[in-house]
Amino acid sequence: MEKLLAWIDDRFPLTKVWEEHASKYYAPKNFNFWYYFGILATVMLVLQIFTGIFLTMHYKPDTALAFASVEYIMRDVSWGWLIRYLHSTGSSFFFIVVYLHMYRALLYGSHRQPRELLWIIGVVIFIALMAEAFMGYLLPWGNMSYWGAQVIISLFDAIPFVGPALAEWIRGDFVVGDATLNRFFAFHVIAVPLVLVVLVFVHIVALHKVGSNNPDGIEIKKKKDANGIPLDGIPFHPYYTVKDLVGVIVFLMVFSAVVFFAPELGGWFLEHDNFVPANILQTPPEIVPLWYFTPFYSILRATNTDLVLALRGIVVLAALVALFKARGLSRLVALGMAGALLAALFMLDAKVWGVLLMVGSLLLFFFLPWLDRSPAKSIRYRGWMYKLALAVLVLSFFILGYLGTRPAAGPNLIIAQVCTLLYFAFFLFMPWYTSIDKTRPVPERVTK
Amino acid sequence: MSEGVDRDKRRFLTLLTSGVGAVGAGFAATPFVLSMTPSARAKAAGAPVEVDISKLTPGQLHTEEWRGKPVWILRRTPEMLQSLPALDKQLADPASTVIDQQPAYAQNPTRSIKPEVLVVVGICTHLGCSPIKKLEAGSDAILGDDWSGGFFCPCHGSKFDLAGRVYKNVPAPTNLVVPPHMFLSDTRIVIGEDKKGGA
Amino acid sequence: MKNIFFILLCVVLPGTVFASGGEHARLDAVHIDLNDKESLQRGARTFVNYCLSCHSASYMRYSRLGEDLGIRDELVKENLLFAADKPGELMKAVMPRDDARQWFGTAPPDLSLVARARGPEWFYTYMRSFYREDKSPSGWDNTVFQHVAMPHVLYEWQGEQRAVHRTVKHESVVVKDGKTVKKLSEEKVFDHFEIEKPGRMSTSQYDAAMRDLTNFMVYLGEPAKLVRYRVGVFVLAFLAIFLVVAWLLKKEYWKDVH
Repeated sequence: MEKLLAWIDDRFPLTKVWEEHASKYYAPKNFNFWYYFGILATVMLVLQIFTGIFLTMHYKPDTALAFASVEYIMRDVSWGWLIRYLHSTGSSFFFIVVYLHMYRALLYGSHRQPRELLWIIGVVIFIALMAEAFMGYLLPWGNMSYWGAQVIISLFDAIPFVGPALAEWIRGDFVVGDATLNRFFAFHVIAVPLVLVVLVFVHIVALHKVGSNNPDGIEIKKKKDANGIPLDGIPFHPYYTVKDLVGVIVFLMVFSAVVFFAPELGGWFLEHDNFVPANILQTPPEIVPLWYFTPFYSILRATNTDLVLALRGIVVLAALVALFKARGLSRLVALGMAGALLAALFMLDAKVWGVLLMVGSLLLFFFLPWLDRSPAKSIRYRGWMYKLALAVLVLSFFILGYLGTRPAAGPNLIIAQVCTLLYFAFFLFMPWYTSIDKTRPVPERVTK
Repeated sequence: MSEGVDRDKRRFLTLLTSGVGAVGAGFAATPFVLSMTPSARAKAAGAPVEVDISKLTPGQLHTEEWRGKPVWILRRTPEMLQSLPALDKQLADPASTVIDQQPAYAQNPTRSIKPEVLVVVGICTHLGCSPIKKLEAGSDAILGDDWSGGFFCPCHGSKFDLAGRVYKNVPAPTNLVVPPHMFLSDTRIVIGEDKKGGA
Repeated sequence: MKNIFFILLCVVLPGTVFASGGEHARLDAVHIDLNDKESLQRGARTFVNYCLSCHSASYMRYSRLGEDLGIRDELVKENLLFAADKPGELMKAVMPRDDARQWFGTAPPDLSLVARARGPEWFYTYMRSFYREDKSPSGWDNTVFQHVAMPHVLYEWQGEQRAVHRTVKHESVVVKDGKTVKKLSEEKVFDHFEIEKPGRMSTSQYDAAMRDLTNFMVYLGEPAKLVRYRVGVFVLAFLAIFLVVAWLLKKEYWKDVH
């Protein structure tokens, strides 16, 4: 065995990679519950790819055959029902895991220096994942699949000048049809999964370069022993391989409970309207995307002329604040931006602003490392302002998510608009409240 | 640091966990492997076929499709049956000793359940072409003056007699396959199923 | 603290699905029990004898029905195989689709998944809510699905009933020309059914037959339901054992970490 290993090592850096990334890669010893979600996300990626491959053996990407092929999998293919449920439940669980993984970053400042690039790669993964899920959802060719795709692609129509041509190019036809289904199949099955796998690899490479953050938000590499090993670090293997195994098993138990006992989850994971084949003549009473898109969908729908009016007022206020509080170059920049925004708020109508705000709500994540000015990384040492802001963000996100499943009218609309503003406020006011927030002294060594 | 590490306990627990994990992996792999076996749709398409031969006159051959393959049902005349024993010396396997090519009930001089009714898969045992029917005995341009009737494969020249038995010195190595079949009545045959059950 | 908040939200939110309501008629509860094979068999018989003439169940094979419901092949051939030759075939409707579209104005939909798309309560209530309506082309209407093109196929069983409405007065406040005005309106709301002509079955007999049919429709929508609970229990049990073993391994190694 040792001879074999030596032969390989002469030709491939096997032992070197193993040591650098597992047996001699030092991770902080105080990882808690929030640190499972990285490995769980990787498990979900593998599961989706694996079950996806087996589904592709039987699924037919043709509008005349697609819906029936899914029922063929559910009934005629041996254990097909299980593979299908693993994939559909897996899709939802993937998002649960990824949202919790991102939340961990907000808790402990994992997006802060020197992990800005790691965070950015993660946001790109998140966006790729949303594209993957969106395209995957068209494939069963159910009525919600069809109408959901129709609505979202028509958003591209709203883009000035290039919109309609772009939407037609994406569809490959004048309406969502066979051409769209086939190309979404190609993207969903191979193009985006390849991108995801590469991005996840790059994400881990970036992580291993700087090392993991931890619940105390302190850099363990700052305190090393005589051998250059971080005092608060433990080798990933065997300690975290063994601990992650436990975490993965617990996760699989929760996952299996849903897969075997409630795969539809009351319509949240498998929508009832999607058990009806796509019917271009009959729109479902309520077009609702899957739950993981609903917060962003909510922001899109909340943006009407009233909200645009409110935004104009807010921008004017912001401009006034810049006028009196800022100085020099930053004042000029702020006033310039306010002017441009105000112009856009008058020239572009609410429909376009809906798309802009929805996209903006995602793009904001990219700027997080630079919006956050707190001297402390972890919420454990931050002041009450950040804790309140984060709670407001989470609450708004959940409320927006729920409202995304209901018609956008009446009091629901007002609440959605308020929550949209609060969501944006979390990000846009962050430079201010994180700098004035009173932080506690950050310890030298990790705590429990 | 603490006292010494209990290496034996660690090895045991690691082996135990790996063992349970391997069993789990086996359980998990099973549905995926099974999903690749013929589905209910494939099995339904390959299901036994019932054929009504009440209208089949002596000397007439009917072709039925079973599992994507042509199955010939030939009602042999008394002359056809009489010509069979004389050919034994020219045949590679006159007594149907290669058991894979026919069920036990077709391992006889006529290779059939009822002497008159031949049921055979019309695919040459060489490389899978479907032979041409040359049922009439007599002179034939390709097959010579002494042709006793049977089947000729145009792809590489293999010859079979009216019991599907392969001639010597042709590319095909074995007799034509007799599929599992049984008589539901004198005029109804089911192909793909016999008393032992479905194929 | 934050964890509890999250878990609570994740637990509470799915419950809101029941608030989705917004449906026209009240839906009656129905007891689904897929372990009741006899009920499923009775439902299958009703479906094949009465529904399959117009409605296909084109994702289901007769042979699968036989396997799952404990009906032998010969019995399947004798009692269920009217619209097909072999048990392995899919359950297609007898009536050609284009003819059906001509006669009813719309093609009777495939019913394989109706219980998953609309819910068992919807189906159960629908099958018991047909009433005589002279103004409709078929002579029938349904409180669960207004102006449905389908006539009451099982009227010989249930009998013929009429819908009795009651008037409900609404008082609303409306702003008209700058003045706040009280507006009185009346609305006819469905109150109850009255049997005009009794059928072969009593109400409770018909309800039981419809329960059997609904039970069958739930099975038809997802035959895997018969299997997945059992497999799930096995999977969870295995994972529990695996968890114990993995946790012991973790604890042993983590003795090193202080």
